[in-house]
Amino acid sequence: MISAIEFRGLTKFYGQRRGIVDLTADVREGEVFGFLGPNGAGKTTVIRLMLGFIRPTEGHATVLGRDVWTSSAAVRSSIAYLSGEPAYLGELTAEETLRFMCRVRELDADTWRPLAERLDLDARVPIRKLSRGNRQKIGVVQVFMGPEPLLVMDEPTTGLDPLMQREFLHLVAEARAEGRTIFLSSHNLSEVERACDRAAIVREGRLVEIRPVRELPGDHWRRVSLVLGSAAPDEAFDLPGVRIVDRAGDEVELMVRGDARPVLARLIRLDVRDLTISTPDIEDVFLGYYDRGAPDAPPAENLVVGGRTPEPSGQTAGRTEERTR
Amino acid sequence: MIAALLRLELRRTRLLVGWLLLLVVAYSAILAIVYPAIRANAANLDLSMKAYPKDFMAAFGMEASLSDPGVYYTADIGILLWPVVAAIAGIALATRPTAVDTERGWIETPMSGHLSRVAYALVSVVVQALTLAVLSVATVGAFVGVGALVGANLNAGPFALAAFAAWLFGCAIASVAMLIGVATLNRGVAAGITAGGLIVMYVFRIVGTVQPDLGWLANLSAFRYLYPTHIIDMGTLPWDEVLGFAVLTIAAWGIAVALFRQRDLVA
Repeated sequence: MISAIEFRGLTKFYGQRRGIVDLTADVREGEVFGFLGPNGAGKTTVIRLMLGFIRPTEGHATVLGRDVWTSSAAVRSSIAYLSGEPAYLGELTAEETLRFMCRVRELDADTWRPLAERLDLDARVPIRKLSRGNRQKIGVVQVFMGPEPLLVMDEPTTGLDPLMQREFLHLVAEARAEGRTIFLSSHNLSEVERACDRAAIVREGRLVEIRPVRELPGDHWRRVSLVLGSAAPDEAFDLPGVRIVDRAGDEVELMVRGDARPVLARLIRLDVRDLTISTPDIEDVFLGYYDRGAPDAPPAENLVVGGRTPEPSGQTAGRTEERTR
Repeated sequence: MIAALLRLELRRTRLLVGWLLLLVVAYSAILAIVYPAIRANAANLDLSMKAYPKDFMAAFGMEASLSDPGVYYTADIGILLWPVVAAIAGIALATRPTAVDTERGWIETPMSGHLSRVAYALVSVVVQALTLAVLSVATVGAFVGVGALVGANLNAGPFALAAFAAWLFGCAIASVAMLIGVATLNRGVAAGITAGGLIVMYVFRIVGTVQPDLGWLANLSAFRYLYPTHIIDMGTLPWDEVLGFAVLTIAAWGIAVALFRQRDLVA
């Protein structure tokens, strides 16, 4: 399959500060690729490298066969981009901003209008008077309004309400159906699970692994928060697929993987005063999964860490690296 | 695409230019209105000016009688109002699309299209040059125009040359500010260095004029060159100095654009 994006040993340091280190990965044409990691993992750095806003310290990246630094303007002409923290000019209205974006991308000046109506964006209000969510809608409109073959989005649903998040996922699905490639950076695991075909997981500037999203750990893990009426020993939670990630007095945080019934059966026997079950966010995944190792973790479908190729055993080099820290 | 960016940048400049235009037109017009009275009372004024040391008066542009149109314009506008206005406009405009928009993140919007970095930076240069042209013409035009209305009989030709010199002086300020702004991506630093440099050169000119043994300091000052009194009185431009300022300005803009093309756009 042809690669829409190729990263080869891509490294960026801002002086002494680490951005991304030795990233090697491919994004296939027509797929929705998640780029998942906690804040500060280096996701935005990778996107800025792709758009030629910053120069790699080492390595290189190509987008649709063109080097992102030496052919920056040509690369950007094939990308629709939504910044992680879109900064607009407060004195302009959304309409003026979107018309400007259309002209900069050589689109018809009213290309934005159908999408704005679909997302219920009031385009006549000066942007300084818009809420965070409405400002984010401008970004969503501008990223989907053009015909560019590659969409690059950095935390695209930040500030959007659940209805708009759902609409966003519909837009992603439509873009995928049109054969466009989507690179979606996020720290929201469920968003990546719902939108993406594959996802790369990055932490502290390094690629940990790349998997199909159905094999992502968060797909099977749940976060269980308990408030106990009376003390229970750690052994009370010694069940398959259960891990204590935090404990402070009577409050216990568990990560539970797989079948929940044995856990629920055990909880009935404990003095549980309060119980919350939630899907884990990326921080939880790293706490409960990557930091402590996961012997029952699924094998990586396509792992590249530090420029190395996947290990045939299925044991991920990334995880091995984490364990040996 | 370039036209859209140019239009937007000019639009963003409206408010600043509006206020500065109001200032320069009002100030120049008032000075023009007063000028006939200055000329009518030249003898008395010259007598009172003699009470002050000659070098001291010269340091502030009053080398001769204030009834001289070149001296009057230079002392009140050429080395007083205009450098301040040019510094405000030049620094603000030269640092906005590069340093400020990078700091705020707006730069990612225009730069996420097909636009090259060189084109983006050149649009900024054009906006600086256009804005300073409007301001310099308005400053001199208000003085000469209102002067004509009140019977000051100012010769428009030499003043047009003075407007050109003022524009070039302003462009030099803007180009240096842009260069520092691109290098640091920090408006505060760029403004501080540029404005600080101007103040130091202004002081150099005063000290160098008042203290003849420190006359060499005045030679280090940009204010010594493209001197409006000489241009207006002689009715011609000092071409060596024009060339020097033009080379400095084009070089600073050129280096700024080249640097902008290569540097990380992250504040």
